[in-house]
Amino acid sequence: MPGFELTRRKSLHALAGFLAGSPLLQSQLDPVRDHSRIPGLKELLTSYEFEAVMYAKQTRPVYNYRAYGEESEFTLRRNRQAFDWVKLVTSQTSTGNVTTSTEVFGTKMAFPIMVSPTALHGDLDRDGEQSTHKGAEAASNTPMILSNNSSLAFDKVAAAAKSPMWVQLYPKLAMEANQSYLEAAQAAGAKAVVVTIDQQASVYERSLHDRNLNAGGGRGGRFGGPAPVVAGTNPYRVSGNRLWYEWKFFSEIRPFVKVPIIAKGILTPEDAKLCLENGVDGIYVSNHGGRSLDYGPSTLEVLPEIVEAVGGKVPVLFDSGLRRGSDILKALALGANAVCLGRVPLWGLGSFGAAGVTRVLEIMQAELVEAMKQSGCTSLESINRKIVLANFP
Amino acid sequence: MQNAGELAGRIAPVAELLNTYEIGAMAQRKVDAATWALLAPADRKAFDRITFRPRLMVNTTGLNLTLELFGEKHFAPIIVGPVSRQKRFHAEGELEMAKGAAAAKAAMVIAADSSFPLDQIISLAKAGAWFQVSTEGEMAKATQAISAGCKAICITGTGWRALAAFAKTVQVPVIAKGIMTPADAEAAIGAGAKGLIVSSYNTTSKLDPIEVLPTIVDAVKGRVPVLVDGGFRRGSDILKGLALGARAILVARAPACGLAAYGAPGVQRALEILQTDLGRDMAMCGKVDLTAIGRDTVKIHRF
Repeated sequence: MPGFELTRRKSLHALAGFLAGSPLLQSQLDPVRDHSRIPGLKELLTSYEFEAVMYAKQTRPVYNYRAYGEESEFTLRRNRQAFDWVKLVTSQTSTGNVTTSTEVFGTKMAFPIMVSPTALHGDLDRDGEQSTHKGAEAASNTPMILSNNSSLAFDKVAAAAKSPMWVQLYPKLAMEANQSYLEAAQAAGAKAVVVTIDQQASVYERSLHDRNLNAGGGRGGRFGGPAPVVAGTNPYRVSGNRLWYEWKFFSEIRPFVKVPIIAKGILTPEDAKLCLENGVDGIYVSNHGGRSLDYGPSTLEVLPEIVEAVGGKVPVLFDSGLRRGSDILKALALGANAVCLGRVPLWGLGSFGAAGVTRVLEIMQAELVEAMKQSGCTSLESINRKIVLANFP
Repeated sequence: MQNAGELAGRIAPVAELLNTYEIGAMAQRKVDAATWALLAPADRKAFDRITFRPRLMVNTTGLNLTLELFGEKHFAPIIVGPVSRQKRFHAEGELEMAKGAAAAKAAMVIAADSSFPLDQIISLAKAGAWFQVSTEGEMAKATQAISAGCKAICITGTGWRALAAFAKTVQVPVIAKGIMTPADAEAAIGAGAKGLIVSSYNTTSKLDPIEVLPTIVDAVKGRVPVLVDGGFRRGSDILKGLALGARAILVARAPACGLAAYGAPGVQRALEILQTDLGRDMAMCGKVDLTAIGRDTVKIHRF
């Protein structure tokens, strides 16, 4: 037939036109339906946005394990609230170049920011802590503290990238277990040992409801089952695994630790002083991201009195609740030498792997520089109490 | 409080419940709205203004919550407070409450207007029973309760004359309940009280008992033990009460919720959760026993 030629293209075109006009298809296009999608890495502008992406990409128990706090989560909430009790005083003085580099225990840092020890990165990324380490390295060589509960051994993680690494330890009752672990880490390059001394008997109600097998817990007899067999049982069903801690632990590990020892979990000036008396080289103010004692204080509200008690004798590290560069500046202004980030790099790792870790750390670094500029600070040395107004309850 | 995907009104197995608020949620599903109004939790503002000062590296392996009160040994400083007519919450009322309290090794205060015969309840309250009265006319009941085994008389809101009458007549310690000011404390001690319970129940106080507790403890200066009740729902709440000077804490709504939802096993669960969480919090504050707890265990905040 002249003038008409049926081609594949024409027939598909006709079919598409037919479908487009079909009432059946129209009924499928619901204008109020959820148009959610997961944003890409470059779209994310704050650390908070990474949490939402991680939530979307990971299974619920994996997300929850990183999200929850101890018991009623009062302290988890208070950690964030505390930053609202401290205001930054904006400066009219314009600042030029801002320098942020520092050194803590011989570890050089481009920014006073480290990666806190957090457990089981293998849940979030196929290459676990190796990805975190690579991501931290790419963010101006951010130092990383490897958790005692890491998915991969220290030497494997250390081999993945070149940014400095410290090692974290939960005290073990058998001293040989501490020795072999710490010696292996030091041989593989650990520049400092962080001993976590809080979280002796914590429970995570959300986790228990999730039946998350990863989560331990101080409340024996989960779901009313028989209480676990633990060291030093008591009739109150409290797990005794970590109730044996004593200050002498620090002198007991000293013979096989050649690098600085830092005590993590300090929340009172009394304990800060006891750290110094017991030969501890550094104080790490932390409430375990709200995962140790519920109704414990936020770390920010106790930081000034601890800094005063330490009197500059040893460096003071700080974590729990930091989400913004301005939060970091507030902690530095109240006397921290450097801060550590726990959940923030985990959100990066759980959303985009190593690239996510890099990006979220870069955002925190850039926000810190911006906050310093706004406060008229050109270097870490110029940060002091005068740039903040603190009104703690 | 309904979890996603859960059937409406599902009552979870008691062992799944992890705090007394969850037990309360189950109770709410079991009882009518009017009864729930009696059990609904109070607000937590006063407790939210108190934080801990955790002391680390203290060996608490020998965790010990026991105490001696009025000559009797207690497993933990948590006692079931008086609750009237418990048939409102469970068909077996006080009998189940007494069984649950005994299973959790907790003493129990029996209200004068109980739904069951006194001797029946007392025989089940194996970890100790006190008796609560509110008028002088209940003297005969009190005498009966004492001969059936009650170790103390709690007297609520009757004025100091009635308190003096009980203190003269009965052979066990008389404890004044409802003290909210240092002046009340002085008057009660003067009238012969051997113990005080700081409590706002049936008072016009705008403050919570935990807020006035320190001033009363300071005024009493150890002459008699001071106890407290009012809104204690977490182990951490109990530790705050102890830190501010209470020798023991009375809990009523928490075990009553357990009773309403499950009977004795719910009472036991509520009390055991409080005991365990108190023990955990003590361990994390570096307190191996009750004598180690003091004012410096907590910080009271302005807001």
